[in-house]
Amino acid sequence: MSSRLRTFAAKLQGLLGKRDASAEFNDEVQTHLQLLEERFVRQGLSPADAAAAARRQFGNTTLLQEDRREMGTFAHFEGVLRDFRHALRTLWKSRAFAVVAIVTLALGIGASTAIFSLVDNILLEPFPYKDARRLMFLEIHDTQSNQAGERANYTSAELLEFGAANSVFDNTIGASEDLVLYQQGAGTEEMYGAHVTPGTFELFGMPALMGRVMQPADYEPGAPPVFVMRYKAWMTRFNGDPDILNKTFVLNGTPRTLIGIMPPRFGWFEADVMIPEKPVRGENGGFTGYPMRWFLLAHLKQGVSVRQAEASMDVIAHRLAAISPQDYPQHFTTRIKPLGYGVFGQFQTTLYTVLAAVLLLLLIACANVANLMLARATAREKEFALRAVLGAGRARLVRLLLIESVVLAMGGAALGTLLAWGGLKVFVAAIPPDVIPAESVIELNAPVLAFTLCLTALTVLTFGLVPALHAARRDPNDPLRDSGKGVAGAFRGGRFRNAVVVFEVATSLTLLIGAGLLMRSFVALREIHLGLLPDHVFQTYVRLPEDRYATGAQVAGFFRPLLQRIKALPGVVDATQASTVPPAGGRPAEMEISGQSHSEKWQALLQHCSEGYFRVLRIEFKEGRPFNEAEVNSVRKLAVVNETFVRKYFGTKDPIGSRVRLASLETLADPVRDPWFEIVGVVADVRNVDLQETVEPAVWVPYTVTGSGAQALMVRTVQEPASMMEAIRQEIWAADSGVAMAYPGALEDRISERMYAAPRFGFVVMAIFAGVGLLLVTVGVYSILAYATARKTQEIGIRMALGAERSNVLGLVIKAGLRLVLLGVGIGLAVSLALGRVIATHCGVLRLMIRPH
Amino acid sequence: METPRSEVLQGTLDLMILKTLHTLGPLHGFGIARRIEQVSENVLQLNEGTVYTSLLRLQQQGWIAATWGVSENNRKAKFYSITKRGLKQLARETEEWERISGVIGRVLRMEGERSS
Repeated sequence: MSSRLRTFAAKLQGLLGKRDASAEFNDEVQTHLQLLEERFVRQGLSPADAAAAARRQFGNTTLLQEDRREMGTFAHFEGVLRDFRHALRTLWKSRAFAVVAIVTLALGIGASTAIFSLVDNILLEPFPYKDARRLMFLEIHDTQSNQAGERANYTSAELLEFGAANSVFDNTIGASEDLVLYQQGAGTEEMYGAHVTPGTFELFGMPALMGRVMQPADYEPGAPPVFVMRYKAWMTRFNGDPDILNKTFVLNGTPRTLIGIMPPRFGWFEADVMIPEKPVRGENGGFTGYPMRWFLLAHLKQGVSVRQAEASMDVIAHRLAAISPQDYPQHFTTRIKPLGYGVFGQFQTTLYTVLAAVLLLLLIACANVANLMLARATAREKEFALRAVLGAGRARLVRLLLIESVVLAMGGAALGTLLAWGGLKVFVAAIPPDVIPAESVIELNAPVLAFTLCLTALTVLTFGLVPALHAARRDPNDPLRDSGKGVAGAFRGGRFRNAVVVFEVATSLTLLIGAGLLMRSFVALREIHLGLLPDHVFQTYVRLPEDRYATGAQVAGFFRPLLQRIKALPGVVDATQASTVPPAGGRPAEMEISGQSHSEKWQALLQHCSEGYFRVLRIEFKEGRPFNEAEVNSVRKLAVVNETFVRKYFGTKDPIGSRVRLASLETLADPVRDPWFEIVGVVADVRNVDLQETVEPAVWVPYTVTGSGAQALMVRTVQEPASMMEAIRQEIWAADSGVAMAYPGALEDRISERMYAAPRFGFVVMAIFAGVGLLLVTVGVYSILAYATARKTQEIGIRMALGAERSNVLGLVIKAGLRLVLLGVGIGLAVSLALGRVIATHCGVLRLMIRPH
Repeated sequence: METPRSEVLQGTLDLMILKTLHTLGPLHGFGIARRIEQVSENVLQLNEGTVYTSLLRLQQQGWIAATWGVSENNRKAKFYSITKRGLKQLARETEEWERISGVIGRVLRMEGERSS
């Protein structure tokens, strides 16, 4: 120990007086050499021979100096620092190489980490709930319809029956939506709420962040009214104020105590507030006067398969269908799907495809860097041979290269991490709403980042060391004599390298074509005419307190003066009431037409509106006229239908003056007696299902006929529609401070978000990957060809010596490269053709993801 | 015919230098090299440069000290002398060496008895 300490002290001294010591040592060695030389001269050698003999006897002075320095100083520390500086210098000298290598590494690391994090968070572990993989929902699938029109909402009676009669689920719960009004400041605000049934919080198994979740007693009739709030609503609407816990809020007219706030990742039904409710058989009073419907979620028992559960539930559903046949299709099956299915079910193929593409990119990046480093090694062979000849030991060479590789790897890692982090942010921002579950938190996946970093670092270090190992193992004279075979001996992979080029080109082409296809279908989507002009329209749903606005007259009493006042606002062109905001097309309603008989169900999408609706949306009239203000106010039973309606139900007959019966209006909380409506007009088709879906028959009736149903407001403005929001909100509150706006904004944004966001996301992601891929492949092909050509320097030299022209040589090199690239293009095209179908179906799939509200 | 020259055993150079300085008093590197050459009667093959590495090591351990002086033929030279700690170390190492060489000698003799 003490001897080590002494060495350390001596080294410290050496560090301080380094230059002196070095000079002194040199003097000493020189003196020694001279003395030896003199001695040899005395022995009779010629001065020249004597000098040589002296040097021979003394040995390698450079190595000695080095030894001395290492002993006299903290060799490792100093040596590493020196090598580090040297590495930076060398890399700076070959900046192009360094930049390309680092960027390649960074792209590989960044892209794969970002995408894998996305896939992991969205697909692998989206839900934080207890045993989330066994949480299932139920769908009734009409086997005769090929449209995606499954029913997943059930009456209270059905919910209770499904829950009680099955033996495959150990807990069955329901949730039904509600827009909840509460007083906030001068006016009223709205929150998205859910009525939840007993067992809900037991099913999810998540404790509250603050306060408590609901207990069985909270659901009992007569229990003190309570509610639970979601974290997001707490943060955005109450700034995370902890004092609101145990406060009482008046929600839709009922004072309720806030008993708990859920943790950030609790997102059941995307509800801001959860209100306890025990479903009661036969009870029918649902949201906005429509019948109450529950979404059913259940926990599959251990050991029960999805198929078993489907069979079991199908029996129950058919029994229920026998009791109330009007609620079920003629032929149906019951399907059970996992909780996340509705949101990302069809999205997962796209994500997995992208993931595969990205892993390929990572491999390509690694292969590229390996090739770059080999090419560089070939070029530096002589340098290393020279170093070895001049006395650099193998350890020194390895250290030098190791440090160079570490510098590269660190640069790549730093930039790659940054890219992964930034890229993920971009993706998260680009993800359309409703595509990922509210519960999933997308963050950088540390293990994946570590894995990609390790993989790339390993590649860099392995291939970085090749020249050192060779220079050290071989007779250093070989490369100096210019044998020209080079490092290639170690990496005898001509065929392998060619395969890599072909593979890279094919992959990149496939990605590019995929991106192109997606982009094309997106452009096609943008070109589909909606049938209305969505620009300069402000839209908002309006939530009216149900106790005061139950009848058509009451609702009209609110809207009639409000529409007048809004139309009088500066910057407003026109305003209308509506029951639905596009791109949603209304509620499907069964109907009959007088004088026409039919066996199958006749349906049309039903909307209520005021006379201004068609003007505000600039919907073209093909025949007849809209209802006018006087007719709306006097509750005339008139209807406007679309062209599809006429084509489907009237054929060539003139529909004007015919009467339709809308039976569903009879079952509302504010029913319409004798719901026969006279058709007064026919409008051009407006996309009412989805952009690529065929237009459904549609019918509009005056909103004054019933107080039930959702209420919305649409205003055509002169300026930017969103800028009118405050003025309109003030008008609404002036009319009734108990009314709230819900989802206000520009109609154009709403349509864009619902119709274009998902396909845009798909194509943007593919385009990014195709771009990254192309870049990597360019680097890859360059590095491989550069390496291959560098190895042929000798051959090229000989060819030129034998009279080959510059152009011959160029042709040779280019031909070799071109052959591989063309082969890659061929394979890429073939794969793309095969994948084209898959991608085309993806476009269809992306379409399905847009779910109108 | 020349007898093949032996390499200096690892670690023994330090001991030889200590002993040389102990016997002859302060010496410069060249002198040390000559002395080892003379004593070993050309049996040992010595890269004279390594003497300096060894000297540096010994200095770091504090077993020898160095001062600048003037050599016989009026050259500036560094003179090395053994320190008190160096003397102790020499005693220790000599003892150690004798012990080990004794053991090795015995072992080798044993081998000889048996094979004969």
